[in-house]
Amino acid sequence: MHSEAALREPLILGHKTYHDITNDIVGPIENKAPRGWYILTTIAGLIACYGIGCIFYLFSKGIGTWGLNKTVDWAWDITNFVWWVGIGHAGTLISAVLLLFRQKWRMAVNRSAEAMTIFAVIMAATFPLIHMGRLWLAYWVFPLPNQFGSLWVNFNSPLLWDVFAISTYFSVSLVFWYIGLIPDFATIRDRLTKPGWKRAYSILSFGWTGNAKAWTRFEEVSLVLAGVATPLVFSVHSVVSMDFATSVVPGWHTTIFPPYFVSGAVFSGFAMVLTLLLVMRKVMHLEAYITVKHVEYMNIVIIVTGSIVGVAYITELFVSWYSGVEYESYAFINRATGPYWWSYWAMMTCNVISPQLFWVKKWRRNLMFTFVMSLVVNTGMWFERFVIIVTSLHRDYVPSSWTMFHPTWVDAGIFVGTIGIFFTLYLLFARYFPVLALNELKSILKVTGESYKADAAKHQHH
Amino acid sequence: MPSTTHYWTDLADLHGNEAVTKARADEFPTQLPGIGEVLGDTNLTGATTGRRDFLKFLGFGIGAATLAACETPVIKSIPYVNKPEDIVPGVANWYASTYFDGSDYASVLVKTREGRPIHIKGNPRFGINTRPAKDDKDATMSRSVVNARINSSVITLYDNQRLKGPVLKNTPATWADADKAVEAELEKAAGGGKRIVVLTNTVISPSTKAAIAKLQAKYPATGADAAAGSRVEHVQHDTISYSGVTNANLKSFGKRVMPSYDFTKADVVVSFGADFLSSWGSTTETNWQYAERRKPGNMSRHWQFEARMSMSGANADVRVMLKPSEVTQSVVALHDAVAQATGGTTVGGAGATDEVKKAAAELVAARGKSIVLCGDNNEGVQVLVNHINAMLGNYGTTIDLANHTSFNQGDDAAMAQLVKDMNSGAVGVLMMSGVNPVYSLTNAAEFKNGLAKCFSVSFSTHADETASLCNAICPDHHWLESWNDFMPKVGRYALAQPTIKNIFNTRQWQESLLQWSGDTTSYYDFIRANWEANMGSRLGGELDFGYAWNMSVHNGVYDAYTNAPEASAFVGDVSAAATAAKAAVKTGEWEVSLYEKEGIGNGLHANNPWLQELPDPISKVTWDNYVCMAPEDLIALTGVSNFRELYIGQESPAHVVKVSVNGTEVELPAIPSPGQAPKSVSIALGYGRGANGEGVGRAAVVFDNETKTLVAIGKNVYPMTAVVGGTVSYSSTGTLAATGGTYPLALSQTQMTAMDRHSIAKETTQREWAEHKATETYNAPHTLGVHEDVNGDGVIDSRDQKPTSDFNLWKDHPVEQVGHRWGMSIDLNSCTGCGACITACTSENNVPVVGKDEVRRSREMHWLRLDRYYSSDMTHAVGKAEGKGKIERFLEMEVPSRNPKVFLMPVMCQHCNHAPCETVCPVAATTHSNEGLNMMAYNRCIGTRYCANNCPYKVRRFNWFNYVTDKFADVNPAWDELGRMVLNPDVVVRSRGVIEKCSLCVQQIQGGKLAAKKEQRPVKDGDIVSACMAACGMGAITFGDLNDKDSNVTKLAADERAYHMLDEIGVKPNINYMAKVRNTEEAAHHA
Repeated sequence: MHSEAALREPLILGHKTYHDITNDIVGPIENKAPRGWYILTTIAGLIACYGIGCIFYLFSKGIGTWGLNKTVDWAWDITNFVWWVGIGHAGTLISAVLLLFRQKWRMAVNRSAEAMTIFAVIMAATFPLIHMGRLWLAYWVFPLPNQFGSLWVNFNSPLLWDVFAISTYFSVSLVFWYIGLIPDFATIRDRLTKPGWKRAYSILSFGWTGNAKAWTRFEEVSLVLAGVATPLVFSVHSVVSMDFATSVVPGWHTTIFPPYFVSGAVFSGFAMVLTLLLVMRKVMHLEAYITVKHVEYMNIVIIVTGSIVGVAYITELFVSWYSGVEYESYAFINRATGPYWWSYWAMMTCNVISPQLFWVKKWRRNLMFTFVMSLVVNTGMWFERFVIIVTSLHRDYVPSSWTMFHPTWVDAGIFVGTIGIFFTLYLLFARYFPVLALNELKSILKVTGESYKADAAKHQHH
Repeated sequence: MPSTTHYWTDLADLHGNEAVTKARADEFPTQLPGIGEVLGDTNLTGATTGRRDFLKFLGFGIGAATLAACETPVIKSIPYVNKPEDIVPGVANWYASTYFDGSDYASVLVKTREGRPIHIKGNPRFGINTRPAKDDKDATMSRSVVNARINSSVITLYDNQRLKGPVLKNTPATWADADKAVEAELEKAAGGGKRIVVLTNTVISPSTKAAIAKLQAKYPATGADAAAGSRVEHVQHDTISYSGVTNANLKSFGKRVMPSYDFTKADVVVSFGADFLSSWGSTTETNWQYAERRKPGNMSRHWQFEARMSMSGANADVRVMLKPSEVTQSVVALHDAVAQATGGTTVGGAGATDEVKKAAAELVAARGKSIVLCGDNNEGVQVLVNHINAMLGNYGTTIDLANHTSFNQGDDAAMAQLVKDMNSGAVGVLMMSGVNPVYSLTNAAEFKNGLAKCFSVSFSTHADETASLCNAICPDHHWLESWNDFMPKVGRYALAQPTIKNIFNTRQWQESLLQWSGDTTSYYDFIRANWEANMGSRLGGELDFGYAWNMSVHNGVYDAYTNAPEASAFVGDVSAAATAAKAAVKTGEWEVSLYEKEGIGNGLHANNPWLQELPDPISKVTWDNYVCMAPEDLIALTGVSNFRELYIGQESPAHVVKVSVNGTEVELPAIPSPGQAPKSVSIALGYGRGANGEGVGRAAVVFDNETKTLVAIGKNVYPMTAVVGGTVSYSSTGTLAATGGTYPLALSQTQMTAMDRHSIAKETTQREWAEHKATETYNAPHTLGVHEDVNGDGVIDSRDQKPTSDFNLWKDHPVEQVGHRWGMSIDLNSCTGCGACITACTSENNVPVVGKDEVRRSREMHWLRLDRYYSSDMTHAVGKAEGKGKIERFLEMEVPSRNPKVFLMPVMCQHCNHAPCETVCPVAATTHSNEGLNMMAYNRCIGTRYCANNCPYKVRRFNWFNYVTDKFADVNPAWDELGRMVLNPDVVVRSRGVIEKCSLCVQQIQGGKLAAKKEQRPVKDGDIVSACMAACGMGAITFGDLNDKDSNVTKLAADERAYHMLDEIGVKPNINYMAKVRNTEEAAHHA
């Protein structure tokens, strides 16, 4: 067993034993849920139902129930899509990239981050589906054999790449997440006594025995999946960005998009992880596992990615001026000073200025401040997508077609609805799934547990 | 010896529990089997099914499944039991006919499919609206003007609110009952010594006049009235009065007529408020003549003095903003300026402005080759205008009284007398056709009183404002169901023939007259007999009448004779005229002028959904009327801080103002109208139809979301007219105030200017054009700096530029010089912006009508739109010179000039050879044809709308809803069971959720190719004509094969004026535009 420098902050606070960890994580699943959980789930469920109602209303009437028009053919739909996909970046980044980099602190956050990823990607995938004029023909985007003769999908289209990118990302993330869950499900199974529940977790745990062979394979598979998932973290949002970058629309047609989108995605993903974890930590009493240090690590990621995003914004402005293209130049002037100036400045404030506050150590270790900032960042990132999509489209080449986009209650209903669905799923996850990778945590307990570190330090002194 | 002692480790071990033993064996991982081991598994070779068998089963399985999925489609069709001789299912029949509604006149061809009229276009060979072809080649590029009002009239045939049979006292009746009732009343009136009046709009039909004469003969005058000849009087009344003009001609030349104008001979045209391109005079004739002289090199010079930016003003070379009262003063001033130069009588017109002096000088220099027009209906002003034209020697050259038109015969004096007579009880029976006085008369209230005092019969097709108050309605056929004859001009005759049997139980009103005169012949027989009797000598000649008649029906026209032009001598009293003109001038704080809009006209077309949805060419407003105000006035009135705050969009409603004129108050939204003379406002006539729930047609009313009722669109401002000096005046003074309220308006274009984007709107002056250095001046190609020594000066610097056309990121489609490559050229000099192409496209391609609410949301579906750009005082060049930053420049560029130049530009799918839409569709629903067309497979479209986003021209339209159902049945009467009959069966009706756009009328292309193939010849230039091209009588649109070296479109594409819109983005469109040339003195500026 390797040991860790005493200088490093412990990742598990207090004196915890293996059994404590199991109790802390599995306990809430075994016990009756607190009242708060029922209240929250009811609220989220109602919002989800409203959103689903709006989606059905959309189906019954047509895309015209949204505020789109002849000039702005995408608005909230694709804004929400990109926003959710972006949020869905943190989970796999934490579990895959940080696994490869052997970052132990990921173990406390990866489970819920991955769950968030899965749910966010589900929400994201909803939008490209429901934004189609003829949803019932959505399967035509797959290169399936068909009765139309040699009719094939258009491999030139970035939308098609999207289909592949998102579906691959979703499948790999889901498998990765689930593999990680298996040993933890088995632990729950072993502790439960109610036959029905025991049976359910028994099925979920795929007959996990916990022998050395299973663990070896578990780790091999995790490593392979991490290898597969890592490029996906970068490819998904790169491909999403190409929806815009490969077009001719001024403000979209930008080669900087892939890295800029990926950073933005990680940026917003970490913010959303923080939003969720900070609440969960408090409610489920996980302070010992999700420490201030964890939060600080994530805030550092936010500073880095937020700064990349800020540089990208400024680069865009520079290029629009330097290119000398009148349409490009107008597109950016219009963003900043046109009718949607408020969205541009909301984006700039939330995404460029606010993360820089984390340079102050005191603030980035302040949980309340972090929580507020995580909301600010996600608001900013929503505006970023809105700015890119709507302000570029609403005034592009031909001034005769310039117009404004005004969202309808259906636009808003569906967006809020997806937040409702997301939280419903997340709350169900928090209730029935082990919210931390408890078995993995146990592997670092002796290395980074506070009391163990203290013991080790004591022994060194002697 | 090995020990046999067994040390057990746990109980399971002791008792030999198999599961545990097995688990123990599995505890530690073993080496994973290598690939060689897997393949070397002997079990595989022992399988009973061989590899070949397996492949066979697989092949059979897939084949069987595939075959099972196939099904022969069953197409059900019901054949004719007895096939009509001339109808081949799937093949259109075209019939020549004539349209005349009292103001618009055109010789037309009506397209029928399986017996249904579905499309109207101009008669490409005959008629006064048709440009005579110079030779055969010229004839293939036919030019015939049919405006939007005329080609849209086909949809009103299928209007479900048309009366379905005669109505007596508001209850449906039979024709026998109706005839009995009317005949009894006629007898009663005749017996009682009362007058019988036939009140019509202008009747230019000789046979209709003969039918009225029949009735007149039946009821001769007796007793004291014997001198009148008959009890039956025919009064003609035009909804928009031209009495002042015709009266002036009577006083000036002894003829109460509207002269024929010849704009092809006019080098200088000066118009004082006469919108001769849209509403004033014989517009279908004027338009092609005008366009003929707008070609650079042979360009007329057009001055327009007016209050409202009219279509004529938008096309003028010099437009002068004047209030209506100042327009009259300018006529007087021009009169004197011309008189001084030509030695005529002056009338004391003082204070000629520089513009008037300049116009006078140009007119005098173009003596005999100019036209002066005035839109004012005041007799005095018109006499002065006549005198100006007479002094300039225009009579006999550009103005022809010998071959005058038959239009605008209405007489305000006779109408005024009739209203008096009705009120005094002198009128026994009043029959009305083509008029709606209760709606449109200045003294409508008096007319309404009088109407109650006589037995009234209306021939209206709808229970409109007047008809619904009549004792009897004997509904007339729709014009497409009617026979009629016309004499639009002296010596020129035309025929209208029915293209469908009457849909409802209606009867032509002339036939009703004949019936009541005791003549039971059909109107067709009557016309034919009338022609044979009265025109036989001229028609017959050496041919027999039957042949000549059939030819006339076939051609739609018969041009009998033309009089020699005469230089009519002016005999008017100019000083009296000047006095009358000046007396009629009213000045006040606000001057109000009333006008007719391009779409709705005088209100007759208010029930036409295609016209309601047609954006006004200048204001771009649909489905509404409004007050046009100078932006500066509106800023002052509403207190907003700058022009941009007057923006009208989806959620930016217009400010409501209250206008009071002659005791009539209306509240209407006001729009900022650049070019409107300050302190003057203009309001369109023809709105507020069916305000009291009369059945005037579904499209005239709109569902109001607040009151949940149907309300009339706009307000009726006919009550704002006044009789001044014996004729109806359309301008007046009034008061105006902001109400503080707002009102949503639906504009198809909300941005006003082109933002100094030269690759969209290219224009130049006649002088610059004449230098023929297009690529160095107004049509300079867009270039990019490159890192190579392009100019060969040995240095690589910013002067090394290559045109963007040299750059190509894409593999070219193999369409250049292979087979056909369809393309189009649009001459911005010939386009007057009338919008006939838009309605023709709507009709040809089944473009849905979506209604005001959807247009307000920028969701109109037009495949072809007309972009209107106002010039702005701010350009990059000006801004740089003034040291203004980009942000400030762009903001100021959004603001149009006070009296802007107008740039009108039809835009449809540009059929790019490197189409951005094609690359982004995930399912390849939009692809490129090997003939250069950008095609749209609706069936394949899943509606991601990516193509629409990526279209730089924004011409793609998405079906946001199912426009054939629910809420659109309300706004779109075209899609009820009856209205559906107007659909073109060659073009599919698009479903919800798919993108659509201009196909360059691919159905016509296929049809043309098929016809050529059947004749075993290549497609000739002119074989295939898109709907917009056919609709453009001005010849602005030319469609053809760009791979055909001799085609017109190829020649136009090679012209120095030709440019591609947004050329620098490299999408290589197949549509090109010809830069606009203005006949102005100042040099055009280029960025």
